[in-house]
Amino acid sequence: MLPQPFTPQFLSQLETLRLRTRKEFLGGHSGSYGSPRRGTSLEFADYRRYAPGDDLRYLDWGIYARSDRLYIKLFREEVDLFAYVFIDASASMAFPSVREKFLPASHIGAALSYVVLANHDHVKIHLLGEPSASISSPFYRGRRRMVDCVQFTAATTPAGRMDMAASLAHHLQKLRRPGKAILISDFLIPAASYQQGLNLLRAFNLDIAVIQVLTRLEVEPPFASGGVNLIDSETNAEINLQWDDRARQNYQAKLAQHNSEIRSFCHQSGIHYSLYVTDRDFSGFIFATLPAIGLFK
Amino acid sequence: MEFLNPIALYGLFTLPLLLIPYLLRRKPRRYVFSSLLIFSAMGADPTVRPWGRLRLPLIFFLQLLLLALMIIALGEPVFTASPSRVAIVMDNSASMQALEDGKSRFVLARERAADIFAELGSGAVLDLYLTAPRLERFGGVSFSPSEAARALHGLTPVDLGEAPLDYNNALSQLAREQKYDRVYLITDRPARGHSGAARVVTVGRPRANFAITSFAVHHGSLADARLNASAEIANFSSSDARLKIILRGNGAPIATRELAIAAGAYASAVFEGLPLHAFFEAEIDSRDALDLDNRSFAVASTTKMLRILGISPRPQELNSLRAITGVELDIVAPADYEKSDRSRYGLEIFHFAAPAVLPRNPALFILPPNQSELVDLRERATNPSVSGWREGHPLTRYVNFALFRPRYARPLKPQLPGENIVLSAEGSLVFATMKHGLRYLVLGFDPFPFLGQENLPMSIFTVNMIDWFFAFSGARGKATGEPIPVSAAQSGDQIITPAGERFSLRPGATAFPATRYQGIYQLMRQSEKSLIAVNLRDVNESDLRRPAPIELGGESDARSSESTLMPFWPYFLLAALLLLMLEWFIKPRMARSGRRFELRRRHAV
Repeated sequence: MLPQPFTPQFLSQLETLRLRTRKEFLGGHSGSYGSPRRGTSLEFADYRRYAPGDDLRYLDWGIYARSDRLYIKLFREEVDLFAYVFIDASASMAFPSVREKFLPASHIGAALSYVVLANHDHVKIHLLGEPSASISSPFYRGRRRMVDCVQFTAATTPAGRMDMAASLAHHLQKLRRPGKAILISDFLIPAASYQQGLNLLRAFNLDIAVIQVLTRLEVEPPFASGGVNLIDSETNAEINLQWDDRARQNYQAKLAQHNSEIRSFCHQSGIHYSLYVTDRDFSGFIFATLPAIGLFK
Repeated sequence: MEFLNPIALYGLFTLPLLLIPYLLRRKPRRYVFSSLLIFSAMGADPTVRPWGRLRLPLIFFLQLLLLALMIIALGEPVFTASPSRVAIVMDNSASMQALEDGKSRFVLARERAADIFAELGSGAVLDLYLTAPRLERFGGVSFSPSEAARALHGLTPVDLGEAPLDYNNALSQLAREQKYDRVYLITDRPARGHSGAARVVTVGRPRANFAITSFAVHHGSLADARLNASAEIANFSSSDARLKIILRGNGAPIATRELAIAAGAYASAVFEGLPLHAFFEAEIDSRDALDLDNRSFAVASTTKMLRILGISPRPQELNSLRAITGVELDIVAPADYEKSDRSRYGLEIFHFAAPAVLPRNPALFILPPNQSELVDLRERATNPSVSGWREGHPLTRYVNFALFRPRYARPLKPQLPGENIVLSAEGSLVFATMKHGLRYLVLGFDPFPFLGQENLPMSIFTVNMIDWFFAFSGARGKATGEPIPVSAAQSGDQIITPAGERFSLRPGATAFPATRYQGIYQLMRQSEKSLIAVNLRDVNESDLRRPAPIELGGESDARSSESTLMPFWPYFLLAALLLLMLEWFIKPRMARSGRRFELRRRHAV
């Protein structure tokens, strides 16, 4: 049984979607995604001079009639897609609780995985965390593997510290095929760390989409006015500050600036970016926000 | 401006305590947060300012002001006009001779008085009063401040105890009757409460002191010509002490003794077999606060008689005592006891009777009524047998207790510390105690009538009792302030005081009253000279640990103080009430806005 929100109706809505890629990959099997190779699809790609041995069926007789030269029509090859879903499984994703942050993040990952599976493409889920705790699923293909996707993420408890660049590098060592990479995290890490991580993905010739997941408590911390002693969920570092309206406004301004920097970096790097605050409508995010940023065809 | 209840102002020191609830409320709350990245970017310092910057709300300052106003109102502030008619009452009792850092309390009192004079205008009129021997005006005239300062300079404290006086009433009455704007009492006693016109200025602090509370030289017994001396020393301090007592005869040392005295306790030293001297002096070798009570004087009794005052509803049984040689007996009915002159007697025997307060002579109580100050009586016992007695005690010497059979007894239940001399199976039969240097003996049976050889054990016990009291009934001397009785003074009779002053006695005078100083007084009559020892015998003056406070209060002198005091503490109280109302008004609004904010935040979360 799939958990909420993966109802039959929700799944059928997902089946109508297809991931959009801005790059062409060399696929393993025939599929529905463009490949740099020439193949036998219906989509015209180019011409080339006829050479003996070419299949006469592809001769463009119109050009021959006009120019008395023989040209062969070339078509795109359509291949299957390899999608990699990277989900942040560090301790910060368990704040304020797994149910409120990590679960929505894993549901986004599962929903996107289902979109891939429904198109008979390949999907692999990677959990980012400490290098020793970083694990990944096998490649899944076909709708029926949706249950495995969900169970894989559900069996995980977020914990430990995460260095995004190091963790991604750890996973990329095992990647053999380029494809679509979807990175889901709260991105509450220094800019240098996530930029280095995303550059690693880019260097691996992956088409990247970034989804930042935050809870409402992180957007609007609910501390009562007065002295506050904050403890970092990952590092256990402590910080004291005086919390009041001014501090609250200051915090929200800094968070907005931080998110803006992520968005700006993604834009410059050709990466899809979207922010999901977990108290918002999940279906709306999947079926309205993500298509709006061009993640789906 | 001054405060009628200045002690309340110490409450101002508690004002900072108001911060505590605010600080507790500000104790930083701990939260675990996903990441501190954004907070670090805000510039929060991870190490310092654990309490944050202390920002106190308006309500705190209102509460602070409210508390301060209430405390000031409790202090009862008054505006004072400079008084023009002032009385200065100087405590000149013996305890004012105690030393405070090299200066006597009386000198300190003079300095305080000089300060008061300096505060008064030159046109002020001052009257000086002294407290000992009684509260009376000094000099009979009024002084200007400068004259009063000169007059005070010639005054010294006397060796007298303080007269039992309700100072609150006395000072108020003085202010009312003599129309004084202000009455200052300068004393070594603390004051409690406040009064409109009366002010108490306290000099000195509680001090440890040792004192000879009793000293007497007497014959060993009715049949013994040798002299014995006994001294009782009190330790008015909080630590045990070892003291050396020096006994002098005619000024020359004749014996010494060392005594260990527990804190707050009394100890006695007995010197036996002393040679005859004109007078004796006991001194304790101690550098304590009050030097006066470290010395005591005594004159050996020359009489070989014991004068007994019997108080009994059955005089015929007591009459049998006259059979004992050396006993002189007067008997009065219990109802006549208070009227009788008791100063001539060396022993008072209360036979089935008891006085309202303990007598100022040694006393023997025979089956006193129940609920006396010394003992309670248990149930009666017929033919009780003696089960134990103090061996070697003067009262039990030569008594064959196997044959000692009172016909009727009621065992005693002592109410004071003392010695049980003779015991029966049911309880004590003979109980001895000592208080204020006087011997008291209580019998749970009636030893009278004195039957001589017909009841030898009881007769020997009776003679022992008489001997025991006689040994202690030597010339105890007089207390300072107590008149020296003179029987029909004649022209030329004189009294020479210890300071060498000579006072001629008026013909026919019966007493010399001016015994203000301790020492040996000489009564010169014709060619005859007799010595009288006068000592300070007031433990209240010697015990400097915690003098009884003077209670001031009441409105009896309010009329006299109206002209100089204008109280305005009610205005402070009114201001405090207004503030309280303002706080009531502000606090719920703040609470409401706080709740609204909290609800909004929760809703947002």
